Amino acid sequence: MADATQLGAVDFEGALALLADMTQDFAEAGDLGSTLERALASIAQHVGSAAGSLWLIDGEGHEIICVACVGPNPINGLRLPVNEGIVGKSVRENAVQTVLDVANDPDFSQKMDDESGFRTRSILCAPMCFKDDAIGAVELINKRNGDGRFISSDAHLLQALASAAGLAIANAKLAAAQLENERVRRELELAAEIQRNLLPAPRPAPFPICGVNLPARTVSGDFFDILPLANARFHFCLGDVSGKGMNAALLMAKTASLYRCLARDTVIPSQLLERLNDEICETATRGMFVTMAAGLYDANTGSVCLANAGHEPPLLHAADGSLTDYEAQAPPLGILPGTTFPEENIALAGGSLYLCSDGLTEAGMGSGQALGSAGLRRLVQRLAGKPVAERIQAIVAEVSSLELRDDLTLLAVSDEARTG
Amino acid sequence: MEHSVREEGGALVASFSGEIDLEHSPAARQVLLDCVGQGKKVLVDLSGVGYIDSSGVASLVEAFQRAKKGGLEFALVAVNDGPRRVLELARLDKVFTIHDTLVDGL
Repeated sequence: MADATQLGAVDFEGALALLADMTQDFAEAGDLGSTLERALASIAQHVGSAAGSLWLIDGEGHEIICVACVGPNPINGLRLPVNEGIVGKSVRENAVQTVLDVANDPDFSQKMDDESGFRTRSILCAPMCFKDDAIGAVELINKRNGDGRFISSDAHLLQALASAAGLAIANAKLAAAQLENERVRRELELAAEIQRNLLPAPRPAPFPICGVNLPARTVSGDFFDILPLANARFHFCLGDVSGKGMNAALLMAKTASLYRCLARDTVIPSQLLERLNDEICETATRGMFVTMAAGLYDANTGSVCLANAGHEPPLLHAADGSLTDYEAQAPPLGILPGTTFPEENIALAGGSLYLCSDGLTEAGMGSGQALGSAGLRRLVQRLAGKPVAERIQAIVAEVSSLELRDDLTLLAVSDEARTG
Repeated sequence: MEHSVREEGGALVASFSGEIDLEHSPAARQVLLDCVGQGKKVLVDLSGVGYIDSSGVASLVEAFQRAKKGGLEFALVAVNDGPRRVLELARLDKVFTIHDTLVDGL
């Protein structure tokens, strides 16, 4: 502990003025690097040291790096292992270190002097903390006045100044992270907008096919498409990419674009899926795959030719009220090149065919309120007789208040207008 | 999710338990790829897994594809009803070799 004489020597007014100036400078700072240099110079001058350096722990926590420096021999950018030297000890122990004579201190690392050509005699080093953890340290070298040794009042002062610097650095990092988050958020919104434009625009009623897509996050790994062809025939598909987030969204964008492009020339659903599968297999990474049901509806005959690549079974609600599932006969797209996709010919006969992603049936699963396929079947029966667009909206409304674990997509092909 | 890897009868047996979902699939992926990287037959014991989502299935698919490329055997064993239904509905039973028990796989 310092004795009364030493404490009495402290220039409290000067120290408080410095602390106020420094805090103000940090608050207004645009460039943290130059602010730290200024703060360090003020601290070194006020405490009266020949040189000083400011160190931060690097991202991994194994090293400390010099980010600001005052004195004759700059060492900015110098990296030291965190388990070496006085700075490392101050950071590790989260405590002020005072070394009156480095010749007698086993922790002193010669590396810094070797690097700078400076000769260190005495050291005062204080950690910079944020939320009880040291994020770095301020080190002062060789006291100019008195006997050349740092005293305890210097240590108290440096500790206070280092704390202010630590808080400023932590704030600056938080502000930078916030800016980065904002940038990512804007980019995600832009990606979501581009994705929404990949989906078909709603068509005015009466139109036999209707779909809706609700992303669980900003971007979606699901998609659907509806493509009117000549002679009252319609291509339609619904796909679900494995996983969630940006990687799923990118594969969704690729698959949706490929579908739109290939479906114009390849009318037969099984051939369309074969071509899509081979294209996706060529560039698929990390085991990602796409489940997809694709069909061709002929509004003249009411028939659907359907091919299913590992997707949830489409559900036929027949005009007599009966329900039939059509389970996939082939695995998803993007896994095995050369896969073939058997077709089912389904006579809608005045009924409706529903396709959905598992995001619909699994919504609310976390809270035990999931609709499940049984719930979907009940809903479909209850909504019979309403226009197709209304039915789709009502089904989505049923689950939209639940927690969406996954993207949700629903599409219905209605043959009612033809017969009705 | 928990996992363990052991060698048995010349094969690496990677056992998982819990849920292989979006949160845990990166860890499962690493375990499986490390196994395949050792150049041995790999059996994935799913007897302790109650739920697997599409990201978890993708981890299995990637390891399967890597094994296939290296000419290595890769199979799933002891798959519970829930995950088995997920695999069957997506017709991934046509992709993966699935054995009822570990002994069958060995």
